[in-house]
Amino acid sequence: MADTIRDTPPDRGFAGPLEPVDECTWRIPKSSRPGMLVDGLIFADERLIPQLRSDRAVEQVANVAFLPGIQTASLAMPDIHWGYGFCIGGVCATDPAVGGVVSPGGVGYDINCGVRLMRTNLSLADIEPVLVRLVNQLLQDVPVGVGQGGSHVFSPAELRMLMQEGVPFLKARGLATDDDVALAEAEGCIADARPEFVSDRALARGSDQCGTVGAGNHFIEVQVVDRVEDPAAASAFGLHAGQICVLIHSGSRGLGYQVCDDSLRALRDAPAKYGMSLPDRQLVCAPVESPEGQHYLGGMRAAANYAFCNRQLLMWQVREVFAQVLKKPWHSLGMELLYDVAHNIAKLERHQVGDTRKDVCVHRKGATRAFPAGHHDIPERYRAVGQPVIIPGDMGRASWVLRGGPRSMERSFGTTCHGAGRCLSRTAATKAARRRNIQEELLRGGVVARCRSREGLAEEQPQAYKDVDIVVEVVHRAGLSLKVARLRPLGVIKG
Amino acid sequence: MHEIFEHTADLGLRATAPTLERLMADAARGLFEIIAGDLAQIRPRHDHTERFDVAGTDPTWLLFDWISELHAAFELRRMLFCGFDVSIDATGLHATAHGEPYDPARHTLAHEIKAITQHELSVVQTAGGWEATLIVDI
Repeated sequence: MADTIRDTPPDRGFAGPLEPVDECTWRIPKSSRPGMLVDGLIFADERLIPQLRSDRAVEQVANVAFLPGIQTASLAMPDIHWGYGFCIGGVCATDPAVGGVVSPGGVGYDINCGVRLMRTNLSLADIEPVLVRLVNQLLQDVPVGVGQGGSHVFSPAELRMLMQEGVPFLKARGLATDDDVALAEAEGCIADARPEFVSDRALARGSDQCGTVGAGNHFIEVQVVDRVEDPAAASAFGLHAGQICVLIHSGSRGLGYQVCDDSLRALRDAPAKYGMSLPDRQLVCAPVESPEGQHYLGGMRAAANYAFCNRQLLMWQVREVFAQVLKKPWHSLGMELLYDVAHNIAKLERHQVGDTRKDVCVHRKGATRAFPAGHHDIPERYRAVGQPVIIPGDMGRASWVLRGGPRSMERSFGTTCHGAGRCLSRTAATKAARRRNIQEELLRGGVVARCRSREGLAEEQPQAYKDVDIVVEVVHRAGLSLKVARLRPLGVIKG
Repeated sequence: MHEIFEHTADLGLRATAPTLERLMADAARGLFEIIAGDLAQIRPRHDHTERFDVAGTDPTWLLFDWISELHAAFELRRMLFCGFDVSIDATGLHATAHGEPYDPARHTLAHEIKAITQHELSVVQTAGGWEATLIVDI
């Protein structure tokens, strides 16, 4: 092991001004640091503030306010925590027409990390007798963990097609249904992807990883709908109390990580070239309209389409495991996609900014699109209630289904939180797990957990995360997204 | 000497050494400790010794590019390294890495590193030699 493991908190927290605006919004005034172009605005309540001040995430919200062309405010969601460059839970919209920038750090390494939720027609009573067998089979058949390649291996030429076409590429090969395409954000394919901008090294890392979970905070969970908060919206989403669902959390795997890494290298000199002064090297960026900005966006969209395909192939494998264990075709188990949504992405979207409607580049890093009822980008069958928003919590307590809220467009460029957010570092969580059996603790709480690495369960234990109920309460009260249903975990596989 | 330090969602690595060459070797050992947990499980095989040449003169970018190349060796060829002979001259860093390919039957892995980040990345000269800081994305 390392010569020493330091258990002390990070060197410094945030001691600067954090002013309450209302019961769930806090402001870092732009006057507090020379160079900030807009305020920082954080959605949180008083219960979250002490943790928020303890690391450097708030300072990162202020740093993002330096980015050229930033509009309205540098925003952060209540699941905010310390990232690199941008905080996790950060939202930043820039205006390309005034030199607004795109920053790979505002998306993160895991391009289009996201979640998808699949309904079933199974009840708790159907699943309880086979739960252990089901989770064991998932662990055996679905690639999860470090160094685990998948059974779907794509040549560089096939990968380029997959990145251009997204989930429809898989549908043409019998690995997705019409609804699997229709019910994903952007119908599983972001336009204007440029696979030719993806490096050979990224293609090599991605060749056998489409259809693999990965490690870290990624997982597949079998869940039950614990409580319905909004019966009309739940009905529109096909959800009811006691129903079994499956939640899948993964992203663009090594391919996407490499696209981000390559872009950060390619942009190393861009701030100097375009005369920008940035407070953190990891905020490196280029004007959206510049060749460097367009190159990043083209490659990022390609990686995003790979991520949609990764989650599609994972869902396909989960369907096959359920069919095998329950001895019925998956179609007859009602295993239908509810929705798939990204929480690490940059998109050009039209928003109202002050008196003007304009196209802005919205960076969401650990933040989820949450368009309200009526928005044309929501699948027609959900349009009357709002976009489904899927919020994974932790593996012991809960996850949530929300719907895009009425105030999301005016307050957060149509965005809400993405999860519970970590409150313990990985080293602190490992220390807290010493002399405990996390797997047994979870089982006592009714959760069958299987993890490939000894570190995975300790670092990802429920106590490492904020209480997702509190996080969701904040975004609900702020009108960013509204509660529909709470889901409780029954079984989980992790790396 | 090196230590793993706290970062809320990721892991940080800090190395100190009397020379820049030893600093680079210690940081490399730290990287594979994060990936594999225990370096003692890696048995170097001479038929898997690899040579690395990283061009550059700025110590910070030299560290970043060197550690990134080692990470790529694991990602692309599943190589686990535990020993490093490093030299640095006016053209850059030259190293021989000793290790073996990942074998699921014998090796347990601890973390999947998504990338070596540039956040807080630094190599500085201290009274006792050199200190390096880098954060990896988990």
